[in-house]
Amino acid sequence: MTTMMERPASAPGHSAKRKPLIERLNIVTALALGTVSAVVVWQLALKFMPDNADTAFFFNREDKISLLSLIAWFIGFMVGIGALIGPFRWLLGKDLNHDENMFYAGKDQGIKRYFRYTTDHKVVGIQYLVVTIIIFFVGGVLAMLIRTNLGHAQGGWIEPQTYNAIVGWHGIIMIVATIIMITGPFGNFVMPIMIGARDMAFPRLNALSFWLIVAAIPPVFISFFTGGITTGWSAYNPLASQAGLGMNGYIAFICIFALSTMVAGANITTTVIRMRAKGMTWNRTPIFIYGVVASVALALPAFPVFFLSQIMSGLDRAFATSFYNTTGGGSGWLYENLFWIMGHPEVYVILIPAVAALMEMAPVFTRAPLFSFNIAVMGIGGICGLSILVWAHHMYMSGWAPLLSAPFMITTELISIPTGMLFLVLIGTIWRGNLWMTMPLMSIFALLWNFMIGGITGIYLSDVPADAFLHGSMYVTAHFHYTLMGAGLTGALASLVFWFPKMTGRMFDKKLSWVAFWLVQIGFNVAFMGMFLVGLAGQPRRVESYAAMFSRGNLITTIGAYTIMAGMLVLLHGVITSWRSGIKAPMNPWQSKTLEWTVPNPVPLENFDVLPIVTGDPYHYGKAQS
Amino acid sequence: MTDIQTPQSAKWWKKTDVKRVFLLWIILTAVIGYVGSEVQARSMGAPASEVMASVISLIRIFTWAAAPVAALVAALAITALMEKRHYGDNPPPDALHQVHTSPRVNGLWMAASTVLCLFALIVGLIVLQKDSASLLDAKAMNVNVTGQQWVWNFDYVESNRVRSADLYLPVNKPVVFHVSSKDVKHSFWVVQMGIKIDANPGYVTETAVTPNKIGVFDVRCAELCGLLHAYMQTKVHVVSQADYETWLKSTAVTQGAIS
Repeated sequence: MTTMMERPASAPGHSAKRKPLIERLNIVTALALGTVSAVVVWQLALKFMPDNADTAFFFNREDKISLLSLIAWFIGFMVGIGALIGPFRWLLGKDLNHDENMFYAGKDQGIKRYFRYTTDHKVVGIQYLVVTIIIFFVGGVLAMLIRTNLGHAQGGWIEPQTYNAIVGWHGIIMIVATIIMITGPFGNFVMPIMIGARDMAFPRLNALSFWLIVAAIPPVFISFFTGGITTGWSAYNPLASQAGLGMNGYIAFICIFALSTMVAGANITTTVIRMRAKGMTWNRTPIFIYGVVASVALALPAFPVFFLSQIMSGLDRAFATSFYNTTGGGSGWLYENLFWIMGHPEVYVILIPAVAALMEMAPVFTRAPLFSFNIAVMGIGGICGLSILVWAHHMYMSGWAPLLSAPFMITTELISIPTGMLFLVLIGTIWRGNLWMTMPLMSIFALLWNFMIGGITGIYLSDVPADAFLHGSMYVTAHFHYTLMGAGLTGALASLVFWFPKMTGRMFDKKLSWVAFWLVQIGFNVAFMGMFLVGLAGQPRRVESYAAMFSRGNLITTIGAYTIMAGMLVLLHGVITSWRSGIKAPMNPWQSKTLEWTVPNPVPLENFDVLPIVTGDPYHYGKAQS
Repeated sequence: MTDIQTPQSAKWWKKTDVKRVFLLWIILTAVIGYVGSEVQARSMGAPASEVMASVISLIRIFTWAAAPVAALVAALAITALMEKRHYGDNPPPDALHQVHTSPRVNGLWMAASTVLCLFALIVGLIVLQKDSASLLDAKAMNVNVTGQQWVWNFDYVESNRVRSADLYLPVNKPVVFHVSSKDVKHSFWVVQMGIKIDANPGYVTETAVTPNKIGVFDVRCAELCGLLHAYMQTKVHVVSQADYETWLKSTAVTQGAIS
């Protein structure tokens, strides 16, 4: 890793006797300052905050203290990493000079820049990649605990409380991992090069969006040891107001993560709109760029709502307000609305970039032009537009507004039309292509298969009378795993293998990528087909034990889940060994025509010596144009 | 399919790969439709109400409507995969077939998906209308359902609020459930009757069904409600009208003091 990332040897940056502040701040100072602030605030609050046990609603005082400590952690961490240096220096009227900005960009720092507030988009991309892998690893281990517990009908060897906490934890961190899995690593590393830019529009915001995620993770990890997120990832109120102190970790986590998403969304959107190379008109912009922009632009209206919903949840807990408390005049339905106004666009935030990434790969691995670029753009746009009008299909059975069932059923089923367009583009590109048998190519087939199943089961679920039976059952769990994992994660893993040469300078081990692909895909289909069947037979979601009649289906699912884990471990092994000692990659190993393959390995600090001028779309394969 | 625009090919439907797609499409439509609907219908078990029967038939109809689409995509994908494969570390030559777009295919695809979408919508809306109408049945008996962590309680409105933890219902008599909760959200799910509605604290929600089969069925909570959510389940005993009366009387006697 280090050898590949290092710049050609040159003079070390600063030779001043006493290192300036910005050179002394890194992840260690951030963790230290964050922890110290949290502990200090915690102790002070314990000492001085009046005990209002008489008027308390549930854990009032403890909630205030733990939320205050988490806020202190957040501020301490962000100060410690150096996020405030830029604004502070500007306030003083002593803005950063050129050398300092180059230091910020990570010039000549080798591996150290990965542990600092570095603004270079390529560093941020690698940081995102590593963090995404770590989160997936934890989420995967939790999934295995869930499946092991459910392997046998009465075999619940995990306590119900712990089991519920594991389910909630698995849910929320997998959601976060899938949200960042493409726009984080590839959106940051690849996207600016792909549009012919030297960096993002706001490099410091780019660093900010990454370090916000790092700041958000400890609260959710700590929450596991302070009562856990026992409410599922959706944290419905009033259950959430009843849950232990772990919920405060969830609230802090969501608020910080939502900030990160908003910052990244503003940054990526601006970059793509303003910084495309000369000649890259919208018709010549690669489809992956559309996917990334659609994803982050959709998050822009969605995540402020999530942020707000959790602020209100925190106020209910800590200050006994009653946004969601019926006895005080609030309503749990308000929470459900806010949550799903975020929650449904959010699934397309995850899905669209994955499909777009595979659309980007389809022409490369079939040596044929992308079929119907306009339909692809329209499909992505149509899904985005409709996705903000469908949230209440998660609430058909809540009793909130029976008269709204029919309108939401209409908007939801209309999504099948733009979704069908994405299928048309992929299948039209593959048709009569010269298929280059690689893991990314097979991922396109896997996506077609998984997403077809996920999409059709989605139609059943969008139908109100059918949903009256299926809602809240394992069928729903299987359905969204088919879309988010079967389609989303498949696209992300293909992206990893596809862009690995550019990001690390080495080829991903071919054999390992094949083994991982088949283990994951077969295991996945076994696992979630089994889950569909038990859902249809009537097993509810999020249960830690079940009736004996569901044993067989659950055993199948558990076997499938272990197969997925084996595949993912092979993939992890492939990432580590290929990154350390893989075959050195040529500049353009896939003979692709997008701009990121025109820069050398490793990619120089500002990507291009001379900014490129684009004269055509990147899909002109074949004799017609050559 | 996509070469209908290519002028040099005389008849696009006479090409071998198109014929293969067509054949596969027919076979796969039948297989996907049959296997998909049968496996799902069988997993759902025997219905204990008209509502559940219509859920099962909805799933059958949707599966058959989706089968041609799934089969077409599968047929095209399989054929493409069977034709030209290239292994190795260097890319294959560019494909001979170079079609950037095809207005006719695009139009056809969009028209077909719109028709299928409208079909699914109309079928669903008809069933929804029927289910909603049953809430207004004046002859129906009323049961108040109360969820609390982690049990269900049933109050029989017309019978002096006899209370039970197992649900007893006379066969072939419409019943409207008025569902509420004492603490957090629960979801009242009578599995084999295909009905479900959330139990919200502070509000009453409604759902209705007419059980049409004598037997013992399951009530499960379908919304995570805390520690023992998995165990929040009980039984529905659907009995004949005479048995129901007998049960009511015996229960009313034992509950005489409290009711």
